[in-house]
Amino acid sequence: MSDFLMEMSGIVKTFGGVRALDGIDIKIRAGECLGLCGENGAGKSTLMKVLSGVYPYGTWDGEILWDGRPLRAQSVRDTEAAGIIIIHQELMLVPELSVAENIFMGHELTLPGGRMNYPAMYRRAGELMRELNMPDINVALPVMHYGGGHQQLVEIAKALNKKARLLILDEPSSSLTASEIAVLLDIIRGLKARGVACVYISHKLDEVAAVCDTVAVIRDGRHIATTAMAELDVNRIIAQMVGREIAALYPRQTHAIGEVVFEAHHVSCFDVDNPRRKRVDDISFSLRRGEILGVAGLVGAGRTELMSALFGAYRGRFEAEVWLDGVPVDTGSPLKSIRLGLCMVPEDRKQLGIVPDLSVGQNITLTVLQEFSRHTRIDSESELKTVHGEISRLQLKTANAFLPITSLSGGNQQKAVLSKMLLARPRVLILDEPTRGVDVGAKSEIYKLMMELAAQGVAIIMVSSELAEVLGVSDRVLVIGEGVLRGNFINRDLSQETVLAAAIDPSARATGHCDNRETA
Amino acid sequence: MNTGTIKQLFSQYKTMALLIAIALIWLFFNQATDGGFVTPRNLSNLLRQMSVTGILACGMVLVIIAGEIDLSVGSMLGLLGGVAAVLDVTQHVPLPIDVPLVLLLGLMFGLFNGYLTAYLRIPSFIVGLGGMLAFRGVLLGVTGGMTIAPVSGSMVYLGQGYLPPQLGAVLGAGLFLLAMVLTWRQRVNRMRHALPLTPPWRDAIRVALIGAVLLAFVRTLNHYDGIPVPVLLLLALLGIFSYVTTQTVFGRRIYSVGSNMEATRLSGVNVQAVKMWIFGIMGLMCALAGLVNTARLAAGSPSAGNMGELDAIAACFIGGTSMRGGSGTVYGALIGALVMASLDNGMSMLDVDTYWQMIVKGGILMLAVWVDVSTRSVR
Repeated sequence: MSDFLMEMSGIVKTFGGVRALDGIDIKIRAGECLGLCGENGAGKSTLMKVLSGVYPYGTWDGEILWDGRPLRAQSVRDTEAAGIIIIHQELMLVPELSVAENIFMGHELTLPGGRMNYPAMYRRAGELMRELNMPDINVALPVMHYGGGHQQLVEIAKALNKKARLLILDEPSSSLTASEIAVLLDIIRGLKARGVACVYISHKLDEVAAVCDTVAVIRDGRHIATTAMAELDVNRIIAQMVGREIAALYPRQTHAIGEVVFEAHHVSCFDVDNPRRKRVDDISFSLRRGEILGVAGLVGAGRTELMSALFGAYRGRFEAEVWLDGVPVDTGSPLKSIRLGLCMVPEDRKQLGIVPDLSVGQNITLTVLQEFSRHTRIDSESELKTVHGEISRLQLKTANAFLPITSLSGGNQQKAVLSKMLLARPRVLILDEPTRGVDVGAKSEIYKLMMELAAQGVAIIMVSSELAEVLGVSDRVLVIGEGVLRGNFINRDLSQETVLAAAIDPSARATGHCDNRETA
Repeated sequence: MNTGTIKQLFSQYKTMALLIAIALIWLFFNQATDGGFVTPRNLSNLLRQMSVTGILACGMVLVIIAGEIDLSVGSMLGLLGGVAAVLDVTQHVPLPIDVPLVLLLGLMFGLFNGYLTAYLRIPSFIVGLGGMLAFRGVLLGVTGGMTIAPVSGSMVYLGQGYLPPQLGAVLGAGLFLLAMVLTWRQRVNRMRHALPLTPPWRDAIRVALIGAVLLAFVRTLNHYDGIPVPVLLLLALLGIFSYVTTQTVFGRRIYSVGSNMEATRLSGVNVQAVKMWIFGIMGLMCALAGLVNTARLAAGSPSAGNMGELDAIAACFIGGTSMRGGSGTVYGALIGALVMASLDNGMSMLDVDTYWQMIVKGGILMLAVWVDVSTRSVR
């Protein structure tokens, strides 16, 4: 009997001749948390699909031992029966159903005649919540009443209810706030203590460092190393992931900051479903040429609402007064804003960024397509020339401009969406979570690009939930909490603690105008 | 050969598969009618029968690519055809005024549908349902439930006239030349940008095939009375709509609105205007189809265009238009319309009962979409 719960050896998976996985060996003991790291496209997801039975036994080579016996799953059903549960990045919850109904989805407890046995389900769901140290959750309330962190918790409760022995968490914290992440990590520690093994997939290496016992790094489908966390630090993991040391992830440079170019006065947004509730409450701020303004805050604080209102894209009712160069302008729709030189790269790349049926090139020229029109016809020659220029400028990795955009990795899709807005020659550029779900290499390229733009005099507003990123890139930081401007700091010796404290403190207030003429 | 490669072949050569399906249908009917199906006379008939559905399908494919649907087109066709007949028969409006008036009216109706969908955000399915009832009601009111006949000879020419054979031959030759030039230009362009080229023999075969089809087309029709005017109209629409969808800004917008409307809106596109104009074009096509239909029947009928929307929608889906929007082609939709027309025509020749015809057409639609769905996601 081996002392490992799960052993994968020599896993090879090919797609049409391309080796996505090339001989991967990974082992996990019960009660151990394994961090799985690698750049986007390295093969993490494919590996987890092999493990969780999405790719049935026989469609890949190699062997999986589960409890010392070969595991030959034909489907996810088989691996779930064995106790391997995967929690996907996008939560698989039905927001309108209650916490308990979600936990028992597909395994409902029933009374004779197929009626739902609510008392038993509520009882069991309550027990699970107490086990997870979350007794305050009302399991009869719809899931949508709770925030992202608690929803993650419901997913975990669902997994535990299926008697999970190995829990795979795929980017579990990508939409969580700092305090929610702390809760999540505590829960994982609790699970470990109960003997549940975890695979923790994340780009956020500080979380990996905080919770994992061992870290396996894969790169280009190959297993690079599995090392005990005690012998590692974040920089060593990055080095293993990219195959080289990244000298400085944040290439902050000194650059000149010019006159005030953008002012937002008294921006308020009202909730789409509940028009009396304010999501953003009377926020004003200004921005200078060449300035990079980081906007920090907890998820749900109203940052995205604020930005989409400025851009004229907010769905609900909003009030906003936008000034460019000291003159009030009408930014009532994205079209008007873009014409004025105010551009936005939205937060949700899949829903709001890419047009999936169009090619890479067609996505890039979406905003400026009219410029290529000659006598009703698109001049495909000059369109392609522009596209090729963008592809090489942003080092966008694609075989050619005619491939579907969906065939690119997340980082390269993001570059295409960025490029689309850059072609519109923005003077003020709003970037909402520009590096979410983007691998380390593409991240640093996006930062470099931001620095270049700032040096050219573009004013940049960057919304980010990663404090390290906000502090690493911005000249000035705005902090928003519960729809209110709670802090405005020049980024000099600014600490994550200061920003976080302002974000949480309900009494904090600030004005967003600033006179920093100095260079960063 | 395993199922995977079959699927791959199928999705790569979807048009080819459709053409083969048509060939099989024709072969079957030809056998069943002892050679009565593939004759110049019947093919000429078949193409004329197809023209009304084909004209509607040209507009409908844009609507579906944009992620919407228009159920009102059958009734709108009937109404506009009825108006054309009333103007012609009772008001004696000359054709050069009658036609533009009806086209303008069609455009207005279409834009109105588009306004309701795009700006007032009423789902297009509902707008279509409402229009289906309302337009039919107006038609019944306008005609008093009676057939309006006989329409003038000049109008009948629109639906029943023929192009002189010599002109038909010149047209065929011109189209062949165009195909050669376009293929050549595409090769040159791809070469200039160092893109992978298809082997020359495949392009050669393609051009030769197009030439053979054109030759067969013109010769067969000239063998009868010449190319029918409505078929000529359909050819022109095929050209115009293919150009619009593949070469123009507006065409690109149709695909991007249908594929991801929010992302397109955030890219600074006036998506509401795009949608409204797509419905406007649909209305224009209803007017054309109504005119051709009235001309073909030489009368305005209160039941004209009944269920026409379903034939047009079926043609689009058979022709490989995606039901969630974002992809589809005009020529695909027309091939779909040809499939539907062939079934109609063949079964009528065989004296198949109407109820069987409906069952078979319904079954074919399901089959075509099932094949499309099951071959779409090739891993």
